Amino acid sequence: MERRKFIQSICAASAVAAVVSPSALLAKDAPKGGNILTYDAAVEAITGGKAVTDSDKVKLTVPEIAENGAVVPVKVNVESPMTDADHVKAIHVLSTKNGNARCADIMLTPMNAKGYFATRIKLAGTQDVVALVELSDGSFLRAAKPVKVTIGGCG
Amino acid sequence: MAAARKSMIKFKPKKFKVGDTIKVDFIVIHPMETGTRKDKKTGELKPAKYIDSITFSFDGKPFTTMKVWETVSTNPYFSVNFKVPGKGKVTVDYTDNTGEKHSKSKKLKPKG
Repeated sequence: MERRKFIQSICAASAVAAVVSPSALLAKDAPKGGNILTYDAAVEAITGGKAVTDSDKVKLTVPEIAENGAVVPVKVNVESPMTDADHVKAIHVLSTKNGNARCADIMLTPMNAKGYFATRIKLAGTQDVVALVELSDGSFLRAAKPVKVTIGGCG
Repeated sequence: MAAARKSMIKFKPKKFKVGDTIKVDFIVIHPMETGTRKDKKTGELKPAKYIDSITFSFDGKPFTTMKVWETVSTNPYFSVNFKVPGKGKVTVDYTDNTGEKHSKSKKLKPKG
């Protein structure tokens, strides 16, 4: 009787785990939704073909290894005086291999006083997270960092 | 699922003066369904449901607007900086792709 209960409990626990963990993530092989957008297409849509320079002014903080691809904290800090003449207009958070490359666009104003943004995103697998920053003079800066996703993505 | 919608605004640090730069954190309880996941029981796709636009405003004047896609985590949190101009009310509104709207506000009370 005890052995039976033990086995039953193990089965139940593993069934729960099987349901919860992959379903919490972006399934790679599942049919795509209406928002499929590759990384290159997303960059093109944002910049309109303008040149993007890698810059030290953009500080992207992401974990090197994310244990759970469903919750990856992302922090972007941009060095900027944030005056009316010279401020960060927008921060775009992108990923290189998700079904939909775009995560969030943040339009800032001088009232923010700092070019700062933080959120949590989903990653389908090991890939780069990219912060694309648009300044008020129309130029684009970029920072990218790879994130290793241990439990990830393919469901 | 009675309390399906909840949200919270936090100011960090809690005590601040006029002219200080504080963090405004906005936390929402929201499924952020991608539309690509299958229901394990029925095998059908779950319809997409995610927040697509957020506006942070101070006394009715927006200071940060966001466009968000389904790639943001479930129960998302968003954090921006804000320079305290004086007493007032910070309001955060969001709309999701199904047209659902929600608004949350908190009074900004600088000391000194």
